[in-house]
Amino acid sequence: MIGVAIFTFAIAHIIPGDPAAIQCGDKCGLIVDYTEDGEPITAYESNRIRLKMDDPVGVQFWRYVTDLAEGDWGDSLLYHRPVVDVIKDAAPITLEMSFLALFIAYPLGIILGIISAVRQDRMFDHVSRFFAIAFVSLPIFWFAMMLQLYLATGTEHGGICDPIFGTEGGCFPIYGRHDPSYTYPEDGFYSFYPAGGTGFHLVDSWFVTDEKLATMPEEWNSNWLLFKDTLVHLALPCAALGIASAGSLLRYMRASLLEVLNEDYVRTARAKGLSEFRVVVVHACRNALVPIVTILGFSIGGAIGGAVLTETVFAFNGMGRVAVTSLQYLDFVVIMGVTLITSVIFLLSNLIVDITYAIIDPRVRLE
Amino acid sequence: MSEIRDDDVLIEVNGMKKWFPIKGGMLSTVKNYVRAVDGVDLQIKRGETLGIVGESGCGKTTLGRVLLGLIPITDGSVVYDGTNILDMANREIRKRMQIVFQDPGGSMNPRMSVRSIVGEPLMVNGLSEGAELTNKVAKLLDSVGLKREHMNRFPHEFSGGQKQRIALARALSLDPEFILLDEPTSALDVSVQAQVLNLLEDIQEKHGLTFVFITHALNVVNHISDRVAVMYLGKIVELADTADLFKKPAHPYTHALLSAIPEPSLDKEKKDRIVLSGDVPSPANPPSGCRFHTRCPIAEKGLCDVEEPTLEDLGDGHKVACHFPLGLGMTLPVNDDSL
Amino acid sequence: MRSWDDGKEEREESLRRLRESLSQSRNDLSRSWKIYKRSLLAILGLMMVLSVSLIAIFADDIAVEHPYRNLQDTEDKWSIDYEPRRVEPFSEECDWHEQKIVTNPNSPLFSETVVAESDDKVGDDNRYYRDTLSAITIIKIEDSQGYDLNSSLLSIDPDNSSILVLSPDLYSNTSLYAGVWVTYEFDNEAMHHWWLPDGYDVCIFGTNDQGQDLFSKVLYGARVSLKIGITVAVLTVVIGTIVGSISGYFGGRVDEVIMRICDIFFAIPGLILAMAFVAAMNQVTSLTTPVWLAVLLPILVIGSYSNSFLSSTVPKHGQTDSHVMSKLVEYRWWILLLPALVFIFGWSPSNLFGWPEIFELSESKIWRLTAVVAIIALSGVVILADKRFINNSSFEGGMERLKDSFDWTNPWRYLTFRTLAVFISLALLFNFSGTEGGDIVIIKDFDRLWKVQAALIFTGWPGYARLIRGQVLYVKEMTFVEAARSVGAPSSRIMFRHILPNAWAPLLVAFTLDIGGTILSASGLSFIGLGAEPGTAEWGILISESRRYFLDSPWLMLYPGLAIAVTVLGFNLLGDGIRDVVDPKNRR
Repeated sequence: MIGVAIFTFAIAHIIPGDPAAIQCGDKCGLIVDYTEDGEPITAYESNRIRLKMDDPVGVQFWRYVTDLAEGDWGDSLLYHRPVVDVIKDAAPITLEMSFLALFIAYPLGIILGIISAVRQDRMFDHVSRFFAIAFVSLPIFWFAMMLQLYLATGTEHGGICDPIFGTEGGCFPIYGRHDPSYTYPEDGFYSFYPAGGTGFHLVDSWFVTDEKLATMPEEWNSNWLLFKDTLVHLALPCAALGIASAGSLLRYMRASLLEVLNEDYVRTARAKGLSEFRVVVVHACRNALVPIVTILGFSIGGAIGGAVLTETVFAFNGMGRVAVTSLQYLDFVVIMGVTLITSVIFLLSNLIVDITYAIIDPRVRLE
Repeated sequence: MSEIRDDDVLIEVNGMKKWFPIKGGMLSTVKNYVRAVDGVDLQIKRGETLGIVGESGCGKTTLGRVLLGLIPITDGSVVYDGTNILDMANREIRKRMQIVFQDPGGSMNPRMSVRSIVGEPLMVNGLSEGAELTNKVAKLLDSVGLKREHMNRFPHEFSGGQKQRIALARALSLDPEFILLDEPTSALDVSVQAQVLNLLEDIQEKHGLTFVFITHALNVVNHISDRVAVMYLGKIVELADTADLFKKPAHPYTHALLSAIPEPSLDKEKKDRIVLSGDVPSPANPPSGCRFHTRCPIAEKGLCDVEEPTLEDLGDGHKVACHFPLGLGMTLPVNDDSL
Repeated sequence: MRSWDDGKEEREESLRRLRESLSQSRNDLSRSWKIYKRSLLAILGLMMVLSVSLIAIFADDIAVEHPYRNLQDTEDKWSIDYEPRRVEPFSEECDWHEQKIVTNPNSPLFSETVVAESDDKVGDDNRYYRDTLSAITIIKIEDSQGYDLNSSLLSIDPDNSSILVLSPDLYSNTSLYAGVWVTYEFDNEAMHHWWLPDGYDVCIFGTNDQGQDLFSKVLYGARVSLKIGITVAVLTVVIGTIVGSISGYFGGRVDEVIMRICDIFFAIPGLILAMAFVAAMNQVTSLTTPVWLAVLLPILVIGSYSNSFLSSTVPKHGQTDSHVMSKLVEYRWWILLLPALVFIFGWSPSNLFGWPEIFELSESKIWRLTAVVAIIALSGVVILADKRFINNSSFEGGMERLKDSFDWTNPWRYLTFRTLAVFISLALLFNFSGTEGGDIVIIKDFDRLWKVQAALIFTGWPGYARLIRGQVLYVKEMTFVEAARSVGAPSSRIMFRHILPNAWAPLLVAFTLDIGGTILSASGLSFIGLGAEPGTAEWGILISESRRYFLDSPWLMLYPGLAIAVTVLGFNLLGDGIRDVVDPKNRR
């Protein structure tokens, strides 16, 4: 954590871009004040003074770290809001999408990997391996757009299916987190969640009160319908995000299981006369899963990285999009915040992985 | 005890200790040490073969490494021919002391030809290069019973015995005075073992070499060594001439080791085997007093677990570290549950 | 000076050894190929990679037009109002040309005959320089409101197919004085692919909103992507290998520091890090800051490792090799701490130290050379301060050995690693010194995509460092390394001759897979607008530009995306195949 803080701080400081100059834009030369001696102070200089940019680097860093610890992550120059608030709005969107994507990708990848390993060198194995590599090779953003093109545009635009979930266009909505005909109550510009909610629409949709539901358009006036709408909107982004993970998981699982199937204890289990199903599922898989769990920690980081692209394609205002936007406007305070929070999520997920390890693998115990 | 004259002694080891730190915790602080070698005194005479025996993990390999200065010493000193090896230039040590490793295959880079392997010492020490090197390598290969044509082959094309010959050629290339043989035969078949041992003896005679022969195979030691040192948990417990040691072991541990040598016998009566109970204690946490007392059949409470015995001379250079050295003809009580 | 005849024996010996090692590597290769060709997918991957590489190499010959042809960038008066058209693949409209004709006789531009002119004066190679077009038929004529007019108002001059003749009806009709648009089919031989059947030989991928042939753009995109992928993969491998092997070989505190740095990199998703880096690079006007950083970081690493070394080599017996050395060892903390303190507390943008100025000081060649030499000298001193290092490497006879490598009587010697290293470092030094006033040449030679490449290298090396570190740790424990040490081989020899040759196998696999991964990341960066400049023939940019025409012209994003997928798939399959070969389980 401290390392990441130093790192982001270093990035923001080594970059030659000057926040003081960015803030005043082309008015930097304007004289806004005078010192006690009557010397003029330009807007640029006053910005520097306000941002305390003339202090030694060590002092600036200490101030940054203490502010971080106090929960003051600075104010965004672009959104004119505290960075913490910006992230609080954006993080659930990304997390909801990433977790759902992994939630689909994991069982899919693992089950296909098991089948592929058990039927090693048969047709199923070759085909699934090829598709696994192919899916890993797909550019996420392109795949997302192809999904949009074929599943979200309807047949008259070259798509392959027509609306089935009450959406317009194709069978899935083309972008956004919910149907444009309603908004969640009290949506702000960058806050699409109900005030006091979790920000996860899949959760929040169940907590919209009846009186608020009554104000909704007719086709969206129940919690279930809202939930379904969120789910339908998440389907394509999650598919785009999850397919690569599923592909790589399949390969890992296959390799790991093949290795385990050659172990002596598996042979012993077979020799005991256990059914093949029992041998594979009970004896082999448990051990083959151990390395897979390790990958989980990394794939969460990867999914958040991939979310940058899917969010851009599907117009989700998640962390990735916030990062891209703030990068375009050089709002480094936000970028530092996003970087910090993603690394926190990454570290947390690795901690969870370590704990899971202890549960799966009896040899590893928490000290 | 016959006085050893100073010029007879090639290597003198005084209170050698090698502790490996066990790191742990948040800041990688040193929690404890593995006392691999914990206070060894030893004198190696010029031209002799000293066998070092002991079970695995007793520190005999570490002792060898420290002897050659391959790993830094923790405490004590190794004096080679009158000079502390810490004061010798690394290059000087390498030219005078060489080593043959246990695993002949593993000790050779699989991507280098025999020529490069055997010639490497000459090359890195700037002694010869090019065609001259090729000739020297050919001569070395010849001296260990290999042919010139073998030079351009790679290690995996050789058998275990041949590999060990190549390793020996490499050790000989710098024309050293002293070679440490770290279990050179344990990875070989018995038939090949004998060949290699004979080759070693021949070479020792021809070049006037001093050998330290580390092994756990007692019969090999019996065959090749002039003197034998028995190690247990980082300490030397007994040191004697080979014949002496095999005839009348004074330390109960040596006794137990010797009794474990299987002997072909037609007698129905079983040999008195001494089976030691328990495992070797952890070298990170050695027992107090005599290190062997936890497994010793004749250990006495209040003495052996409190006071550490020193290496005492029993006469004729037969040294033993035991409070109750066994005299000639004494036997140990046999464990009843050993049958 | 040796005469040519003196070296005869040496020459023969070297040549013989060279031949032997060549035949050895040939054997290795044929064995590897035997394992490799067992897998159909691997062969498929190899073919894909080979064909993409061939396409990239011969893009000039396959493409029908230059990828940066800009139809609107022309001084041609007739084509000012040319309307670029997005056309579908295989459409006959590819051969259509639409241009505005002035029909007002009072206009100074008016003429009764119009030369059908094109504006394809493009390309460094001038291959698509089309000045006049020969018109075949007139497709349609529209007035400025877009209403169709009778096509007989305009005819093609029977004597010269490049001339369109305006009928009097056209220029006497005052209601058409705003001008008319004429679309005609022209003879477009150069845009046809000779290797395709009639009717399918034009704009096989369609054209984009600029009227540019997408097929050509995608072809040239292969060049860009492969270049990025290979450059980045090679450089990350080099950096990762250096850092990882230092970390693994020396261990201790160096290892600790490097691995913590890597952990930081791993904690931040690569794409976000690369994005931040590119955005930061966009702010860089002078290239010296990152270069200085690239120089400073290794120094910090070396500094920390030498400190751990120094502390472990403080001589116990009160002797150091020289007075200078003992002083160095004695004051090692100050030597290492003082610059750090000055750096941290002195580096304030506005104070007198003026660090930024120093870091950007790059204008003079002398200064750069001095800096490079000083850095090398500094790291040399730091390394030399270590007793163990001195003990393990010999400088006696070093001059002779160096002379030996330049022995002119034995040309084979130039193949040795040592000589190559000398040449490479000389070239690097020369390059780094740069030209007077210019940017540092190495980076300048990167094309406009250097920011993307730099960012991907920056984010990519920790993975390799960790991989190599693990391998080095594994190989280091093998007995042959100890054997080499026991005969007095210096650290450098142990590293390069013993450890690295036995550690590269997984690296090769990672390298191949990483080329694909890099291509994916680079196109992703371009897609979100942080990579290549718009208009570049780069696959990510092509996709991102086509988003606007998502519904109308889906082919615009289909083909570049397919190209990415095929290329990356090829590298992934190739990597998988190589993994099978180098996997010890497959060794026989």
